[in-house]
Amino acid sequence: MDHETDAHGIPLTALRQDYAFKAVDDYNVRMYILPHLVDPESRARVIAEHKADPLYSPTRPGEPAPIYSQVLVRLIDKLRVVQTAGKHIIVETEPGREYTIALLPATRGETVVLTEETYATRGEADHAIFLKRLKALLASYGIEM
Amino acid sequence: MSDRQDRMLRITGYSDRLSVRPGEAITFYVHSEENEAYEAQTVRLIHGDTSAEGPGFKEEPVEAAVNRAYPGTHQRIDAGSYIIVPHDARLAVESFTLCAYVYPTLPALGMQGLLTKWNEADGTGYGLFIDENATLCLRIGRDPGAEERVSSGRPLFRNVWYQVSAAYDAESGRVRLVQRPWVTQANGGFGMSLIHPLEDTTAEIEARVSPGAPAPNACPFLMAASVAEPDSGRSIFGGHFAGLAEPWPIPIHTHKFNGRLDRPKLANRALTQAEIDALLAGAGVEYLPLAARDPVVAAWDFTANIRDNAASTEIVDTGPFALHGRGVNMPVRAMPGFNWTSDYMSYRHGREEYGAIHFHDESVDDARWQPAFTFTVPDDLKSGVYAARLRIGGVESAETEDYLPFFVRPPASGPTARIALVMSTVSYLAYANDNLGVTSPVAQLLTARAPMLQPSDLLLNKKEAYGLGTYSTYRDGWGVTVSSALRPILNMRPKYSHLFSPSVWQFNADLHLVDWLEAMGYAVDIHTEEDVHREGVGLLGQYRVVLTAHHPEYVSERIMDAYQEYQLRGGRWLYLAANGFYWVTEFHPDNPNLVEVRKGDQGSRAWTGMPGEYCNAFDGKHGGAWRIRGRPMANLLGVSFTSFGLTQSSYYRRAPDSERDECTWIFEGVGRDEPIGDFGLIGGGAAGLELDRADLELGTPHRAFLLAHSEGHSDIFVPVTEEITYSSRGQLLTGTGETNPKIRADMVYFKTPQEGAVFSVGSMAWCGSLSHNGYDNNVSRITRNVIDGFLRDGPLP
Repeated sequence: MDHETDAHGIPLTALRQDYAFKAVDDYNVRMYILPHLVDPESRARVIAEHKADPLYSPTRPGEPAPIYSQVLVRLIDKLRVVQTAGKHIIVETEPGREYTIALLPATRGETVVLTEETYATRGEADHAIFLKRLKALLASYGIEM
Repeated sequence: MSDRQDRMLRITGYSDRLSVRPGEAITFYVHSEENEAYEAQTVRLIHGDTSAEGPGFKEEPVEAAVNRAYPGTHQRIDAGSYIIVPHDARLAVESFTLCAYVYPTLPALGMQGLLTKWNEADGTGYGLFIDENATLCLRIGRDPGAEERVSSGRPLFRNVWYQVSAAYDAESGRVRLVQRPWVTQANGGFGMSLIHPLEDTTAEIEARVSPGAPAPNACPFLMAASVAEPDSGRSIFGGHFAGLAEPWPIPIHTHKFNGRLDRPKLANRALTQAEIDALLAGAGVEYLPLAARDPVVAAWDFTANIRDNAASTEIVDTGPFALHGRGVNMPVRAMPGFNWTSDYMSYRHGREEYGAIHFHDESVDDARWQPAFTFTVPDDLKSGVYAARLRIGGVESAETEDYLPFFVRPPASGPTARIALVMSTVSYLAYANDNLGVTSPVAQLLTARAPMLQPSDLLLNKKEAYGLGTYSTYRDGWGVTVSSALRPILNMRPKYSHLFSPSVWQFNADLHLVDWLEAMGYAVDIHTEEDVHREGVGLLGQYRVVLTAHHPEYVSERIMDAYQEYQLRGGRWLYLAANGFYWVTEFHPDNPNLVEVRKGDQGSRAWTGMPGEYCNAFDGKHGGAWRIRGRPMANLLGVSFTSFGLTQSSYYRRAPDSERDECTWIFEGVGRDEPIGDFGLIGGGAAGLELDRADLELGTPHRAFLLAHSEGHSDIFVPVTEEITYSSRGQLLTGTGETNPKIRADMVYFKTPQEGAVFSVGSMAWCGSLSHNGYDNNVSRITRNVIDGFLRDGPLP
């Protein structure tokens, strides 16, 4: 096995690369999230659930608060915490009328790159980002969407 | 895909003060990104929320001589804290020793100046640096353009104290460079204390370079930076630089250091290691034998002027020449030093162990821009919320328009109304320029959506947030403790949608209340928290009714005292907010444009204070949540912060106390069973964002009435962390909205001495519901009932 070192010759250990966090995160995704996404029909149900209420809605008197299913909660929380470099976000390019998908830089001060993809509402833009993140997650597990 | 960065805001600015009275002057500073001309127009701001579901944006032009076109100028922001010691011939040493203790927090960030008399523009001078390889490095400038370097060859580790020194003998060209980890049980905070093998980060280098003195320059001596351009055209003077007899010019600086320095010293010959140890044994020269003092040029003692506070920007030299310096961009003083034992948690008790100063490359105390125009407030201008509106080419768009808000008080001669609204300016500063939409993955969990940036956020990001605010961490992981009003605050604007809300937050949300008061025809005087801090109950006591806006979260001790006194003297107070009076906050003693917040290790917080860093530099008292100072918010308000969910809102239900004789007047015109506030501009309901509940165990007065409570908060609403001792699944500890009955807003009313009273709604979304249905709704009705009842002379029912 090739043992890596840093520029100063100090071992670049698995510990220094946060291996265990990534390993447990991977386990959690495979055990609790992916099983609901492999089957196209079940995946379509999760996507439809998000599309129906991408930003949650206010609670109406006498009704339960809008809360996602456990499957969608686990999925969306995972998708929301991906690291910021290259992460999709929304830029309001026309106040109240045009929401553009953009990509975040790795650090403060670097350019936020706007794409040509725009939506008429924030909810639609949020759902579009949900789909992009979902597609990327599935692709990282060799699942095509 | 294209770079559409042209959607960025291209104009912004700030003013020299936020609060101003008729007859007084306020000066504005304007930056035009592409040097475009702009038009300024003074306006009164009434409603800033642009949502189509509300009354829409409302402003009123104000006639003023300053309303005209101006040429626009691009103005730099020179962020990053450092210490400057003006040029002095005695700093132009030939042979020398530079030594200090250093605690790098981002050694791998690139070249960083530690102790430098170095001009990067022409490569002259000398300096001790951390180089691009994260190793200690001595740089000696020769003829312009030529430079010699000696590196330790070993990396400096993050968050570890080192003794560092560089001794240079000009006659022989001999250099001795020492990098020694200096680790004790506690001095590294969260940094590691076991370093094995030590050789990984230890170096004692003997080297030889060309003999002769470093090429001299007229640059100042800097700590934590070096000079990029000697003349920036800017200077420091007045305010938090009180005590300077004249302005000190400052350079454009570079090689900004992240980390701490302690006991920096300069000698004018190459000292031996034993001599260096003796020199570093004291904070200044106090332990150095008189016979050994001759080579000492300067011995800056960072503990020398720490007393009850550590707010001074003066850096005291205890050496023979009094080469005193100043800290620029508010480096953080009174931090645990290389000798911190944890015996003392405050510099008031052990100042000798608090000799470190922490520098950050993103901090800003003052943008120091050239002034654009000065507005003198006319004597007859009514008290209100105002702004200088700037438009490039007169065009109204998110890319070409910015507003610089300010607050006009009534004249000094006295109130012009029976109601005062206190604007939460301290909280505006605390929340300034968080930039979290760009930097924080966790923000997406708290808000349950992808962040939305506006053109002003793109500018803010490009400028690395113009110095950040107390919701951010510096890139080295330390929380931002100081926020300044003397730079653009791009989230303190009308028309602005805030990351922390489905719509608006702080300043722009407070305009909901300003608009409603106007629509209802109330005469109201506007003041700021800075005014309350300065004038105390003398200010509040002039008013029959005082209102705070939707989120007065950050208050100073004197502000707390003023409201407490107001209560005791019969004041009638509407707290139309949640999570108010929560964080200990202090103004700089010499400059009210600077506030400080230490977040400690308890409270729902953006970051946690590092070991030993709990006390404010500005007043020496324990920072963090007011509850740990024995002043829980429920003492004042009857309610205590209980939950937040930066998402959609809910509504209230009336509680039995609302039918008591003392309370029915508040609900006149509101049905017993009708939901209250199931509508509104903040998340579609009056109960939302952050919530407070009544709690007799946390100081709610024993005769307080529970008028109403909210229900139906979603799973994004979580309990506050200060009430979580153990995490567990389940309702009372960490359960979310759908399981935890502590997740609710309580509407509370209680009487205070001398016919005073407090009405609290315990929700940050309340004011967003006031305008619903043309201002005719039960949130508006209840608020009106309370204000009218409070204004009425005589005892309350």
